[in-house]
This record gives sequence, structure tokens and C-alpha cells, in this order.
Amino acid sequence: MNDMRIAERVVDSMESKITARGVQVFYGQNHALKDVDVDILDKTVTAFIGPSGCGKSTFLRCLNRMNDTIDGCVVKGSIKIDSEDIYDPKVDPVQLRAKVGMVFQKPNPFPKSIYDNVAYGPKIHGLTRNKAELDEVVETSLRRAALWNEAKDRLKSPGTGLSGGQQQRLCIARAIATSPEVLLMDEPCSALDPIATAQIEELIDELRSQFSVVIVTHSMQQAARVSQRTAFFHLGYLVEFGETGQIFTNPKDPRTESYITGRIG
Amino acid sequence: MSAGLLSLTVLVLAVAGYILGRRRAVSVAGGDARKLHSLPSYHGQSVFLFTAVPAFILMIFWLLAQPVYIENRVTALIPNIEADDAAARELAMADVRRVASGLDLAIAQGALQQADLDTLQADATDLRGKLAGVGVALGADVSQYTFDAAREYRALKSSLGIGMAVAVLAVAAAGFAFAWSRITVAFRARNVSESFVIAMLIGASLVAVLTTFGIVFSLVFETWHFFELYPARDFFFSTTWSPKFGGGSSLGILPLLWGTLYVSVIALLVAVPIGLLSAIYLSEYASRRFRTFVKPLIEILAGIPTIVYGLFALITVGPLLRDWFAQPMGLGNSSSSVMTAGIVMGIMVIPFVSSLSDDIINAVPQSMRDGSLGLGATPSETIRKVVLPAALPGVVGAILLAASRAIGETMIVVMGAGAAARLSMNPFEAMTTVTVKIVSQLTGDTEFGSPETLVAFALGLTLFIITLGLNVIALAIVRKYREQYE
Amino acid sequence: MTDISGGPAALPVPKSRRGSLLTQDALTKRRNAAEARFKAYGAVAITLSMLALVWLLISIISVGAPAFRQTFLTMPIELPEDKLDKSGTRDPAVMAKVTTVGYAAVIQAALTKAIKEKGISTDGMTPKDIAGIVSLEAPAQLRNHVLANPDLVGQTIDFEILANGRVDGFFKGRVTMETARLDSNIKPEQLVLAERLVDAGIMAQRFNWGFITAPDASDQRPEAAGLGVAIIGSFYMMIVVLVLSLPIGVAASIYLEEFAPKNRLTDLIEVNIANLAAVPSIVFGILGLAVFINFAGLPQSAPIVGGLVLTLMTLPRIIIPARAALKSVPPSIRDAALGVGASRLQSVFHHVLPLAAPGILTGMIIGLAQALGETAPLLLIGMVAFVRDYPSAPMQGFFDPASALPVQVFNWTVRGDPGFVERASGAIIVLLIFLLIMNAVAIILRRRFERRW
Repeated sequence: MNDMRIAERVVDSMESKITARGVQVFYGQNHALKDVDVDILDKTVTAFIGPSGCGKSTFLRCLNRMNDTIDGCVVKGSIKIDSEDIYDPKVDPVQLRAKVGMVFQKPNPFPKSIYDNVAYGPKIHGLTRNKAELDEVVETSLRRAALWNEAKDRLKSPGTGLSGGQQQRLCIARAIATSPEVLLMDEPCSALDPIATAQIEELIDELRSQFSVVIVTHSMQQAARVSQRTAFFHLGYLVEFGETGQIFTNPKDPRTESYITGRIG
Repeated sequence: MSAGLLSLTVLVLAVAGYILGRRRAVSVAGGDARKLHSLPSYHGQSVFLFTAVPAFILMIFWLLAQPVYIENRVTALIPNIEADDAAARELAMADVRRVASGLDLAIAQGALQQADLDTLQADATDLRGKLAGVGVALGADVSQYTFDAAREYRALKSSLGIGMAVAVLAVAAAGFAFAWSRITVAFRARNVSESFVIAMLIGASLVAVLTTFGIVFSLVFETWHFFELYPARDFFFSTTWSPKFGGGSSLGILPLLWGTLYVSVIALLVAVPIGLLSAIYLSEYASRRFRTFVKPLIEILAGIPTIVYGLFALITVGPLLRDWFAQPMGLGNSSSSVMTAGIVMGIMVIPFVSSLSDDIINAVPQSMRDGSLGLGATPSETIRKVVLPAALPGVVGAILLAASRAIGETMIVVMGAGAAARLSMNPFEAMTTVTVKIVSQLTGDTEFGSPETLVAFALGLTLFIITLGLNVIALAIVRKYREQYE
Repeated sequence: MTDISGGPAALPVPKSRRGSLLTQDALTKRRNAAEARFKAYGAVAITLSMLALVWLLISIISVGAPAFRQTFLTMPIELPEDKLDKSGTRDPAVMAKVTTVGYAAVIQAALTKAIKEKGISTDGMTPKDIAGIVSLEAPAQLRNHVLANPDLVGQTIDFEILANGRVDGFFKGRVTMETARLDSNIKPEQLVLAERLVDAGIMAQRFNWGFITAPDASDQRPEAAGLGVAIIGSFYMMIVVLVLSLPIGVAASIYLEEFAPKNRLTDLIEVNIANLAAVPSIVFGILGLAVFINFAGLPQSAPIVGGLVLTLMTLPRIIIPARAALKSVPPSIRDAALGVGASRLQSVFHHVLPLAAPGILTGMIIGLAQALGETAPLLLIGMVAFVRDYPSAPMQGFFDPASALPVQVFNWTVRGDPGFVERASGAIIVLLIFLLIMNAVAIILRRRFERRW
């Protein structure tokens, strides 16, 4: 906690991109998330912190309905993106996920070339009309993910051949190639070394200019470094949600204080 | 002494060895088992093993070697036999064995006396009638030399039998005495009997290697014989297959290979799409309840014996295809056809494709699926563009294994494909396969040494090499694929 | 979308490139249609495999079920002493001189009498036609019964004899008046008579134990053919397989899993086992013919040879699951045993093996079930032979000629009389019942003793 550098607190937008109200999640009998209300602002990095099993990843996966792929998972309450309920039966999760991209804990490049990894999203969503446009999207995405310089000469080599940090940046490039509006990151740095982590964190801060970023992290330092707003989850409850600076310097809830001072977690 | 009685005796001896060895161990320790290096039961065990195992090994080798030895000695008595004419030898030996067992029976039933036998002359007395009286029918009168040979055969058999009993019992007793004398307080009986047990475990695992050797040896040996009688070039490149009783057969493998290939291709055309799509549906779409219910049902298909599929082809699928497809389309009117066998074999192979593919698809990490779904791909796009390409090598391996299964399958083609060797494109025509011909050549009435019978071994060797090759390649691919995700 | 920006931050909010989430654009619709199609292919594939299973079972069961019922004639039969035992000694050895022809006459007389008593008209039928509704096996049935009970001679007994296979087929719908007209073996008049006999209570169908217990019968008498010899033969072979493959298989898996060092020999054995499991079964038949029959001189058609061949074939299929079962016992158990000073062998035999036993047994039973249904290798070692005598009790019985269930099925399918197709399917039902029982035992064993570590 000593070297914690609190990120710049400028919140660019007060527009609520995602509005969650009364969200409950059940995995079969297990009540994993209880009555969560959250507003995620546009062009902001929002961090979810909390001890393992507190429900932060579960909530993240609700935001692009990745929980649909898990047997026996039931989501109640309402989650709205741009005031449209994403659990409305008319909503196609495929369209939703194109709008709400996701980066996972472990880098998971497809066993294809770097180019094909990035081009995958634009291709399936039909975002480009010809090869030239596709090349451009791939290049832009790789540049934004700060991977272009390392990868431009080896676009045809397999994505699995990159180092861990590069793989994760490839996954970020892959996610932003579909031009999402929200980017969800599930502990994106937990499998990486400190140098790669620093690169990714820097990247996240840049991505904020275009996307609303939600990041789940185990590391409070990371939350403090990259996020503008922080939500603290504990045992399935959203305990506290507010400006990152306020959460870390002046937590209102005793549980938050215990967690950030290292007494629970 | 019969082999059964002998083994029983050795066993009794060994059990006695266990009990006595145990007791002796306790007594050398002065009644205090704690003084011994090993528990008393280990001392017993070592006596048991030293008594039984060498004796049994000797007995097995004796039993294997005895017929070969007897045959060599006996055939020497039969004139007019060329040394390398295996067929004639075999025939003569069969006669000798029949006469000998007839004599055994006659003596057992009291129709003959052992003492009479030495004075009997085969042509003087009506031996054939006598033997027929005890239920052994002979095709022709017994010649003098056959009778002599049979007498020699019996004499050798009984003296060797006694020899075996003596030798085996001697070895058992020696083992007993050796192990017995070694029992002392410091004797490491546990280590000794454990090394013994481990040696036996190694022996057991070598059975698989021995089996392979047995297969390769017997196939290569008889195939060699076959190629001495029939030119290899004709076998591999001739396009006609017509075995004849009187000799002068043409035995070209090509029509058989064509039939095998044709049936297998149809089988795979049925099994691969159905099996692969079933596996995909079960692993990617089905609810857990549906999966636990349907997966075992598909696997039942793998547990059904092939004879059942054969009958299914014969009584249901064959007539159905003939009446609804072949005849209306004017493609023939045979109920056994390549199509019949191919479709039924395809049904049989479905579970192999589906369960192997299921394993392989499940080995693709979930994170890969999440990555694709998280980008907004539909499940089918995820499967077709991410999961299947990643699983491709494994799936290819699974298909090769299924192909090797189809090529080696026998009963379905015996009952469904027909027996006519043909090079034809019409799938509704009866054709035949390598396996069918192995069965028909080895169950026919031709004599063993003839090329018409021996060709089955050449066919078997071809089959063995093809399936083995496919398996080795498939297993290598699958293994490599698994390592990739481990 | 967020077109009104709250703060002073000047960066323009990118316009949403997509419309509302609640409406699907054309591409998404197309993609979803492709998705639905793909899913439907999968569902169709599963449906097809299920249908194949159902079709297979229904076709076999519907053809085979009638084999368990058989048409019999029950009537009083007079056993005249002057024909069956002229000597009057009641000595079976002497009475055996009367062949089945003599008994056929007795049956014919009894049948004629019974028909007359019931007042059934037989106009236009020769005595031979009338006798033709009785099985060719019936005289032998009666002869055996009388030779077993010589005192019956001179009495009139109520005896049940088999009806002819075609008559039986008529009641099962296999033979009709039309087919009878074309068939030289049966005449429509005989079928009419059979119907009248049924009305008179002389002829009736009942459950046929003979199908399960009787030996095979010759080509002309499908009605008398049974599975007795085949079941015993299969049973003997399974005993041989069990006795040999269980110890050898378990010993080999213990060595490979627990003791084998990583070296060339071990690799060779492992590759060998993996490949042997996929060698076509017919190759094992060739091996059996070459090694056990031609080289070792064991008798043809004997269960011992069948058992040996099936053992070699089953071994790798037992070793693979047995090794998996041993592997699933966690190393901590071994460490615990070694930690208290047990030797490695003790730790395996006292701790690991008992824990792995259910898994090993399950694999064993499934291996046995596969061996029970195996046909091809048995054809090559001469088990197709026509065997009518029951093999004797073990050990001699292992060396006597016998048949086996699946081979008997094959044997019957190559015979001419359509009655044998019904028998073959019936035999398959018996075979499937055995397999079902074995697999059920395996499943119960697995459910009951399965441990999760």
C-alpha cells in the first residue's frame, strides 16, 4: 500500500453506460451474487475488487452474458446498457458481446496466426468489406494494443508463439478489433510478470479514451493505479462503490477498510 | 500321469511347502517370530514359489516341445514322404493320430489288450473293423507303416509322459529342498519372494509382446510358404480372384482390397458426419441431463457384438436396400452388397468416432471457447472456426482409428457384403473383402498346405500391416495432440 | 447512445456503430439462422444414431422373439411292445435296435387315431401328408424318452412332440397359404389340418425351453434346434478367459503402472498393448489356428482353444482400464504405506490394489462381455462345426468339441430353412440378455464403489 499511486481522478463522462439494479446470480443452489446495484460510466475505468469468490468475476460475466454458457446459472434483476435491458429475451447475446468485449484472465489466443486472431471478430461480425479494410482494422487494433511494432513482421506466425504479455495484448487487440463500446477485463494481468503488467496497465489507461473499461483485479494496487471508480465486493454483496480515491483513502464501510488494510481477503 | 493330475500334485506339494516353510521359520527362531528378518509367511511363500514356479515352467515347455519331437520321430517311420512336403506329412500324421487314439479307445474299452498290440499285424487283423467297433471310423484300411507309426506314437507318448512327470516332480522337489534349506533367522525371505513376484509380473506383461511375436511369426511363416507355392507378383497385382479346388487358382488381392476399401469408405461416409456432429452436439449444445442420458445410448452401439450387426444387415438392411433402391434403380438384385455392409458398418463405427471426437473436442481448453464467445461469435462459429481447427489433428486420428476398425471388421462383411470378388463401381453389387476371404479360405475344405488355404495368411498379413500402420499413425497423432493441451 | 457529454472532457464519444440491441440486423439474423441450422444438424445426427439403435433392436427382437415359443402336439401315444421291444427284456441296449423309423410309425398311428377320435376330416390327404405336420425330430424325441424309461413300453402315454417347422411358422405368420402352395415341404391342406388340430386342443404353442437347453439340430429340423451346446461352450470359454486374463492382466498392469522403469522395454510393451487392442479380431483367429491348433496340436472346436484366443484378444482391453484404475489411486496412499515401512510390493498389494479393485473388475467384466460376443476368430479355429453332443464336465469338457453363442448365430444364418433366421435372431436375444446382465453388473459395481479422490 505504501507506493500506491492513485490514478488521476478525472472522470470524463458522467453518462451511465451500464446500469445494474438488483442483480442476483445463482449457480444452481449457490446464491453467488446478492442484490447488486452498479452504474458504470462511459469512458471510465471501473475496477472491481474483493477477495476470491466474492462475486466480482461473476458480475463481470453478467455484463456480456458470458454466464449463459454455464449450466444452471440464473441471473435476476436488470442490467441495462444504453437503457436497453441486456437480459431482454429479444436481445441476441451475439450482438451484445460484439458491443461488450471481453479479455480473460489467462491469455487465450486461438491456435491461428496473429493476423487471423485479430481479424476473427471483424470477419464474423462482417465489419469490413474487403481485405484492405480488414488489414487496416488489424493494424489499428494491434497499434492500439501496443503490439504493432513487435508483431508487424510476423503477422502470419501463430499467436500462441508470443510471450505471455504479448499474448495478452494480442487478446486485447482481438477484443478491440470488433470496436466494442465496453471492454471487460477479468484479472488480465494475473498470469503476467510485473513488466508485462505495467505495459497492460498503461494500455488500459489509453483505452479509456474510447471505451468504458471494467476491470476485475485481485491487486488493490492495480485498482488504485488504473481505475477511476472502484467497487468492493464481499461474499456476494456489493459493499461499497465510489471514486477510487475515496475508497482507498476514506472507505465508508468497515469491511472495505479491513480489506484494503489487509485484514480480510 | 496326466497333465492335470501332475499340476495338482505340484500344487499340493507347493502348498505343503508353504505350511512347512512357515512352521520351520517359526521353529528356527525359537518360537519368536520377531527374531526373523522376514515374517514367517514370507518364508512359506518363498518355499511355495520355488516349488511351484520352476516345475510349472518346465511342464509348459515340455508340453509344447513334446508333440514336435514325437512328430519328427514318427514321420521318420513313414516311407514315401519328402522331407519338405508339409502337407503330405500333416496328412500322414493325422492318420497316425487317428489310429493311435483309436487304439487307446479300443484298449480302454477292452476290445484290445495292450499285450496283443505288439503281436498284431495291421493287415492280418481287421484293425479298421475293430476300431469302427469302438466308434473310430477310418477312411481306408490301415497300412502297416501307419500302424507301426501309431504304435511308436503311443509308445513315445507314454514314455515321454512318464518322463515329464518324473522331471517335473524332481524339479518341484529340488526347488522345495533348496528353499527349505535356506530358511534361517537372517534369511531375507521377503526380498527373495518379492523379487520372485516382480519377475512374474514382468512375465505377465511380456505376454502382450509374445502375442505380437506370435502373430507376426505365424503370419510371416505361412505367408512365406504361400509365396513359395504362388508368385508374389500375381498375388499383389493380379485383378482376378478365383480359387479352384484342383489347383491353378488365381489369387489376386486387388479385388479384395477394392471391396475392403469401398465398404470402409461407405462406412466412414455414414459414421464420420453422424459421429462428429453427435459429438459436437453433445459436448457443445446438449444439457447435462440430455448428455448423461444419450451418451450411454450411443455407446451401446459400440457394445453390440458385430454378429448382431451382421444379422441386421442380412435380414433387414440388405432386403430393404434391394427392394427400395437397387431394384427400382435397376442396379442389381442382390441383397448383400457393398452398400448394405457399408451402411451397417457405418452404424457400428458411429460410437467410435463420436466418443473419440468427444474426448478430443473436450480437450480443447474452455478458455478458447470463452475467447471466441466473448468476441460475439455464435456457438457454431466458435466450433467451426476455433474448436474444430484446434481439434483437427485429434479428429483425424479418431477417423483413422475408425477406418482401421472398419477395414478389420469381419462378421458384417461376411454376412452383408457377399462372396464374389469383383472390381466394380456399383455399390449395390455384392463384393467381397480381405476378411471375408480369410474366413472362407480357412474354413473351407481345402487341405492346409495348399496355396488356396495358405493365401489366407498372406491376406492376414496384409490386413495386419494395413491396420497396424493406421493405428500407429493415429495413435501418434492423437498423442501429439493431447500433449499440446497438457 | 451517449451523445450528451456531462463533463468538460472534449473527446467525442464514438457513435455506436450498431443499432439497438433489441433489434437484430440482417447479418446477425443470417448468422443466427446458420447457428440454428448447425444445431439442427447435430440434433439430426443424434436422432439418426438413436433411430439406428432402435431399428436394430426392433428388427432383431421382432424376428427373434417367436423363437422362444414353439408349436407342440400333445396326444396319447400307445407304445406297443411288439414293435418297440420284441425281446420283452426292457433292456435299453436291446431296445436301441429299434431305430427312429419304428418310432415314426408309432407316432403316425397315434396321430391318425387322435384325429379320428376328434372327428377331424382329412379328406384328400395321404397318411404321409398327415405325418408331415410332425417334426422329423419327433421320433428321436420319443425314442430317447422310451429308452430312458423302458418300463413305459406297453403303456399309453400322454406325450408332447414338436410340430413341423413350417407348421410352426404358419402360426407365427412366417408361412402363409400362398407360400405353402409354392413350397415343396408343406401343403396348404396340412396347414388347414394344423388349424383344426389347434381347435381340437391337440396342437398348441407354448414357451420353448428346448430352445435354450437343446443342442443344435440338422438342416431339416429348425424346430428342434437349441442353444444348449452353444451356451455351455460360451460359458467354458468365458471361464478360460476369466481364469487366464484376470491374473495376467492384473499382474501386467501392476508391473507397468507401479514398477516398470522408464526404458525401451517398457515403451515396447506399452506400444504393443496399445496396438494389440486395435488389431482386428480375425488376426487373433489366425494366430489361434497357427499356434494352438497346428503347432501345439490342441483339438479343433474346443472351448480351450477359443478361450485362449479370446484371452489374448481380451488382455490388452483389460490392461488398459486396469492401469487407469491403478493410476486413479492417489500417490498419497502409496506414500503412507511406504512411510510406515512397507515394501513397495506390500504397499501395492495391501493398499493400492484393493482400492483399484472395483475399477479393475469393471474393466474385466466389460472385456469379458466383448469376448462373449466375438465371432470371427472362433470361425477360424473350427467352432463352426456342427456339434450335437454336450461337452462333458470340466476339465475334459474344455477339450471336447463345442459351439459358441455368436458362432451358433452365424451357423444358423447360413442354413437354407427360413426357420433358422428366427432361431438366429432368438439366439441373439439370448446373447444380448447375457451382455445386458454383464454390463449392468459392471455399471452397478462402478456406481457403488466408485471413489472420487
